[in-house]
Amino acid sequence: MRVSLKWLAEYVDVDVDVDRLKDMLDLSGTKVEVVHRPGADVDGIVVAEVLAIHPHPNADTLTLVDVRTSGGEQRVVCGARNFAAGDLVPLATVGSRLPGMKIEERKIRGEISRGMLCSAAELGVSRDHSGILVLPSDAPLGADVTDLLNLDDTILELEVTPNRGDCLGMIGVAREVAALLKTDLRIPDVSLDRAPDVKNDVNVVIEDPTGCPRFFAGLATDVSVAGSPVWLAARLLSAGVRPISNVVDVTNYVMLETGHPVHAYDAALVADRTFVVRRAKPGERLTTLDGVERQLDPEDLLICDPRRPLGLAGVMGGEESEVSDETHEILVEVAHFDPVAITKTSRRHNLRTEASARFEKGADPNGVEYAGHRVLQLLADLAGARVAADDVDEHPRAFEPRSLTLRTARTDRLLGFETPPDEQAALLRSVGFEVREGETLEVTAPSFRPDVEREVDLIEEVARLAGFDRLPETLPPGRAGGLTGEQQAERTIRRLLSGMGLHEAWTPSMMSSRDVDLLELPEEHPGRRLVRLANPITEAEDVMRTTLLPGLLRAVARNAAHHADAIPLYEIARVYDPSDRGDLPEESLALAGAFAGARRSRSWHGEAKEWDFFTVKGILETLFASLRIPNVRFAPVKSMPFHPTRVALLSMGRNVFGMLGEVHPTVCERYGAPERTVAFEIMLAPVLAALPGRPEVEELPRFPSVYLDLAIVVDEMVTAERVGELIEKSGAPEVVSVTLFDVYRGDQVEVGKKSLAYGLELRVGDRTLTDQDAQRVRDRILVVLRERTGAELRA
Amino acid sequence: MPDAESDLTRRLEEARREGLERVNAARTLADLEEAQIRSLGRKAPLSLARASLRDVAPEARKELGRLANEVHAAVQSAIDRKRLALEAAELDRRWQEEQVDVTLPGDAPPAGSVHPLTRTVYELVDIFIGLGYRLYEGPEIELATYNFDALRTPVEHPSRSPSDTFYIEGRIDQVCLRPHTSPVQIRTMETERPPVYGVMPGRVYRRDAQDATHLAGFTQLEGLAVDEGVTMGDLKGTLVHFARSIFGKTLEVRLRPHFFPFTEPSAELDVQCFVCRGSGAPCRVCKSEGWVEVLGCGMVHPHLLEWVGWDTERYTGFAFGMGIERIAALANGVPDIRYFWENDLRMLRHFVGQP
Repeated sequence: MRVSLKWLAEYVDVDVDVDRLKDMLDLSGTKVEVVHRPGADVDGIVVAEVLAIHPHPNADTLTLVDVRTSGGEQRVVCGARNFAAGDLVPLATVGSRLPGMKIEERKIRGEISRGMLCSAAELGVSRDHSGILVLPSDAPLGADVTDLLNLDDTILELEVTPNRGDCLGMIGVAREVAALLKTDLRIPDVSLDRAPDVKNDVNVVIEDPTGCPRFFAGLATDVSVAGSPVWLAARLLSAGVRPISNVVDVTNYVMLETGHPVHAYDAALVADRTFVVRRAKPGERLTTLDGVERQLDPEDLLICDPRRPLGLAGVMGGEESEVSDETHEILVEVAHFDPVAITKTSRRHNLRTEASARFEKGADPNGVEYAGHRVLQLLADLAGARVAADDVDEHPRAFEPRSLTLRTARTDRLLGFETPPDEQAALLRSVGFEVREGETLEVTAPSFRPDVEREVDLIEEVARLAGFDRLPETLPPGRAGGLTGEQQAERTIRRLLSGMGLHEAWTPSMMSSRDVDLLELPEEHPGRRLVRLANPITEAEDVMRTTLLPGLLRAVARNAAHHADAIPLYEIARVYDPSDRGDLPEESLALAGAFAGARRSRSWHGEAKEWDFFTVKGILETLFASLRIPNVRFAPVKSMPFHPTRVALLSMGRNVFGMLGEVHPTVCERYGAPERTVAFEIMLAPVLAALPGRPEVEELPRFPSVYLDLAIVVDEMVTAERVGELIEKSGAPEVVSVTLFDVYRGDQVEVGKKSLAYGLELRVGDRTLTDQDAQRVRDRILVVLRERTGAELRA
Repeated sequence: MPDAESDLTRRLEEARREGLERVNAARTLADLEEAQIRSLGRKAPLSLARASLRDVAPEARKELGRLANEVHAAVQSAIDRKRLALEAAELDRRWQEEQVDVTLPGDAPPAGSVHPLTRTVYELVDIFIGLGYRLYEGPEIELATYNFDALRTPVEHPSRSPSDTFYIEGRIDQVCLRPHTSPVQIRTMETERPPVYGVMPGRVYRRDAQDATHLAGFTQLEGLAVDEGVTMGDLKGTLVHFARSIFGKTLEVRLRPHFFPFTEPSAELDVQCFVCRGSGAPCRVCKSEGWVEVLGCGMVHPHLLEWVGWDTERYTGFAFGMGIERIAALANGVPDIRYFWENDLRMLRHFVGQP
């Protein structure tokens, strides 16, 4: 909403400067987004008459225009064609200033131009760039356009919140300003001279009283359609509305002034002088004023005559009943519409207009008559109209103003500061509420405030008008708070991973349904059970993700494209499963990582070391060790999207909770990630559930350990895990730790076999073990290994 | 003086001279060891001379014995002094040999980072944990009832339409991706008894086209305090504490009336621009307004308390909600909020270390 301070002065005396007014509006809930001073950079623009228009000899898109001012004639080159000889236009003479430019005599395609004709946008009064601003015909030749159009005005651009439709009219804004300045509001008198001989014979049939609770129809005859006077054009321009003709301008003016949309029809084009308000019939069509033919929806509310639709109610009129230069008699519609119906129609047709914006926020149902009379009054004044002796005002559903009780003590309890009851009453009255004072305040909300529904809404009025700066700065009573163990553990996991040199990523929660194919997830893979969006923006994000890997692989690819030498990324986020249980899909926290490039960069300490299966496995092992979660098993498996022989399944007991592996080269290629990118993904719920309590410290050993090495040769197929388990089991209770320190394949070992070398630590609680004791344990282990795995002691 | 005596005297003096010379000539501890053996060892001239004491007259023996001891002590003392000197030199040599260039880069494990959005969430959550709040989370795929009806957004409101809100296939108008964290207020009040002090971070989704200030998916943090006697002054005090903790202790903070369907009265929190401090100079952050909008807030609308069946006469409360990307961008001077979702390591490396 653009508010001209010159225009505002018609309704309220503003005796503070603009900065102060801006602050007061900001702090009362109507924020001033921008302060425009359109005339600040405009100087020397005068009214000129167009004498003749000649083609430009060297350019088809340009013309040569002869103009006349009080100082004489001159010729300018012009690019627009929306005017004719005889029109008055703004001329920027040589030496004048416009926002961002200084006018000089110059040659344009070989023709001298002594100045420039201006559009509304060039003058800084609106964004309208569509042609030269044609001035009203009563503008004096040679007059300064800055004065004429009130360009030395200040215009406040207000952010009007959805609950305050009343501030979409100058009078509503003035009421706020008057309340803030504690001064009077002047509402224009709308008494008018009526022609007793002109009978209002309009019929109004409201078939849908829910959609249209009230319909006012005024009649004005003997109308002369012409241009608007300068003052009216200037005011419309200040609000960003382009002047068209006196009749149309009056309807726009009254809408801007009262906040109530108004529509004018050429009475000759309304069949039987009858308005029918109804919903559209199937297949019905209407061409709106913007020239678009629209297929109507049976829910669209229409203004019709008995034969056809005339307009989309509350949104835009139709082309066929538009007022034209030939119009002689005018029907004025001021109706009240259901905000929901207007919102839906406006969205359905993707048509946001000044009218629909006002009806959506809720126009004043009781303001209909005032707006109607204002239009008729101005038509009489400005278009010579004779106004019918009476009006038609159909209001099948009268609007009952809402009565509310305000307990003034409740105001103080909710706000935390005291406002005396009489001050609360005065504040409410200042913005149009009726108040009866007693034990409580009995309040009637004005019809232009449909947002005020209950006591707390009145408290808000008191609060914002008393001023939020009166709020004390206190704290509520409070209670004991803190993070749960699981919430702390999630933070610990992030700290551990980032402490190991990883970088946390945040990738989108949505992925493409095609991702499960790019990853080649098997048919029965749970990652293929997708929660699909009904209305995705793009195919690239049409489902909720079931895995964090696509996001991470894309992040790896992006960084690789920037030549990052080390790319260790992880993410902790939700994945989604269309569970059958409950109302909603299941959301679970997952942890995934993707690694490419250098684990350690090349330095003077040594060569670079790349991320590989075992460096990433090491990260997970340290993570689990740091969380004190023992017994996480890495078992061989074969599963996409991983390298078929370099992938492990992670489990705790019977609970499988993740995978780790080199990403399949084909998958790497599809995502643009470097070959041999390594990735893992685990579900966090089982990990958090396995977190142990506090550590319990046992007595330290009193007898020393003995150490022995054991190197064996086994078949390739025998896993290190299997051998380790057998050593631990058969070595118990003396063996307290087993460390695999070498894996060897080569000359000294048969083909198809490998050598595994273990360091064992042996200890018992009640004595020092002897060499013979150690030898016995070693023999015991060897027997079991030989029996179960065919292992031989390495020679 | 008999010959034997003068001969012995001469031998002792000779031993002293040679001994001191040898010690003097030693360049290493090994040299000194050699010198010790050859000067004071069993077969050294001094030892042999001492053995000859038996052969001299008893009356001279005492004097010569004293001389022999004196020579021994002199040589021994020279050896001791020399040893200290040589040991010091030896250590010195070792220090020289082992010298490193301490300006060479260390063998550093690479430093990782926690994402700036996570850090911001932690920082915010910790402020409220410090005020006695608990952390609650709710579903991102949410029932429209919790997301809209409970929060006073009527069925016909445009924000519910599929052009603004994502819906799940087959469940349009029923199950959506939450466009804000506010439904967690309702879920928290449903599962807890009053009083409730909660902070609720999470991802939210809107169909607004992605541009410099909007993403289809972004992050919010919601706060809720409902108790007996909670006032709007409590809201102001809480948010002033929050804003000064994040943006700086000396900045002005103001509440400005606004509108939200689920709070009444509603407000926006402005913080004095921490770049230009309201000087009026051209400012990229506040567009020379002097104030930066930080969050929306207000007193919990009684409709919400009625929805969960809490006594609106007994309990009042406040709620607030903020965009994490915006706070993180403001607090860290990040020029474009899309940076947060691009995972470019050149950006992430600014946030190395742990929160």
